[in-house]
Amino acid sequence: MSDIIRFLLSALFTLAGLFVTITSVLGVFRFRYALNRIHAAALLDTLGILFMLLGIIIALGFQVASLKAVILVVFLWMTSPVASHLIGRLQLTTDEHLSEHMEIESGDMLEEIKKEG
Amino acid sequence: MARKNEHYEESLLGRLDRWTQSGESGLDQRMMDDLASPPPPAASLPQKELERRMDRDDRMKHHMLLQEQATYDRIRTWGSVRGSRFFRRAYIVLAVLFCLALIAVLLRATATLPPFGNPDNPMHNDVARRYIEDGMEETGAVNLVAGMILDYRAFDTLGESNVLFTAVCAVLILLRISKEHSDATAMLELEADDRMYEPQDDLILQTMVRLLVPLILLFGIYVILNGHISPGGGFSGGAVMGAGLILYLNAFGFEKAERFFTFRTFQTVSVISLSFYALSKSYSFFTGANHLPSIIQTGIPGKIFSAGLIPYLNIAVGLVVCCTMYALYTLFRKGDL
Repeated sequence: MSDIIRFLLSALFTLAGLFVTITSVLGVFRFRYALNRIHAAALLDTLGILFMLLGIIIALGFQVASLKAVILVVFLWMTSPVASHLIGRLQLTTDEHLSEHMEIESGDMLEEIKKEG
Repeated sequence: MARKNEHYEESLLGRLDRWTQSGESGLDQRMMDDLASPPPPAASLPQKELERRMDRDDRMKHHMLLQEQATYDRIRTWGSVRGSRFFRRAYIVLAVLFCLALIAVLLRATATLPPFGNPDNPMHNDVARRYIEDGMEETGAVNLVAGMILDYRAFDTLGESNVLFTAVCAVLILLRISKEHSDATAMLELEADDRMYEPQDDLILQTMVRLLVPLILLFGIYVILNGHISPGGGFSGGAVMGAGLILYLNAFGFEKAERFFTFRTFQTVSVISLSFYALSKSYSFFTGANHLPSIIQTGIPGKIFSAGLIPYLNIAVGLVVCCTMYALYTLFRKGDL
């Protein structure tokens, strides 16, 4: 009985991860601007990976391998937002026509970043 | 010294040197000199006859000179006028022919390969069985791949490490910007180009890097040191360490990275590692790739200090790969280490 529950839980999480992954990939290809695409890609890096690895951890049970999967989740949650942040910042500093396709709330922040970068 | 120099200029090598430098050999010049210099006067003839003859000779010589000049000019400009057209056509024809020949050779070789999975294939010989059955006992490495690449076939791996080193040397020759030969403004421009749009001193990145780089380097060292026990080894661990160094460089810039990694570091570490490897394993070239019994005991398989020379060779390969990765990145980005 417990085996069946475990399998179902793991399958549920894996399917959820698959759904998030597909959504994210669709978003990367469908959105038109880099900042929108970052939003879609970050979804995969965080939520998709979390669901997938949770499914794997539940399927494996208490093992060294599942501990490694937990460490993997921590590592990816630490690094991928930083990568997204850097891409976003680079887009902000390099794109000259940024205000044509998005609303920028206050110019001060942008100017500050541009002066720095 | 002067005589030596004259001798050199007269010799074949000297003429070749002059030809490659100025585009013409000394032969032309000497011919011109001969034609231009007056002939020795014939004393016995009367004055008038002599003048007439000299006049005629001069005119003939002048004519010949003009003709020769025209020939030289034609030959010299042939390469840039008609020659280039000819060479372009010949280049296309030869390239197509070469490709066709290569395709034919490759297709022929593929057609004569033995069928895949056939037990009589030449690859199913005693070597594989020997490696699998006796590999752990003979090399002392639990990771059989490490036992193969660093013990049985160590001289192949030496070649691989040297390929990496050679690649970085070629990039160095092509891309390195020497600080002595370029002025200060050019250097400043380069510096500005390098990080014009890049986020400088990003607080989020720096905080994460401070946390992650030690862990990444530790993981690389772990992969290298356990190369003979678990999957991994010098190449993969070195790549991990190189990636960690590149991450640090991106977060903190060249000034901070140069405190621990300069061109000298790269030189010293690469050369010492490669020399150690070459000294300990290049005897295979002379023994016909035969394995000699090692002086170092293989130890108990599975322990860190086991497998003879393999851990030390792994460390050497890892250092070379790490330095090479970092050097390639900085060379392509800045043209210097």
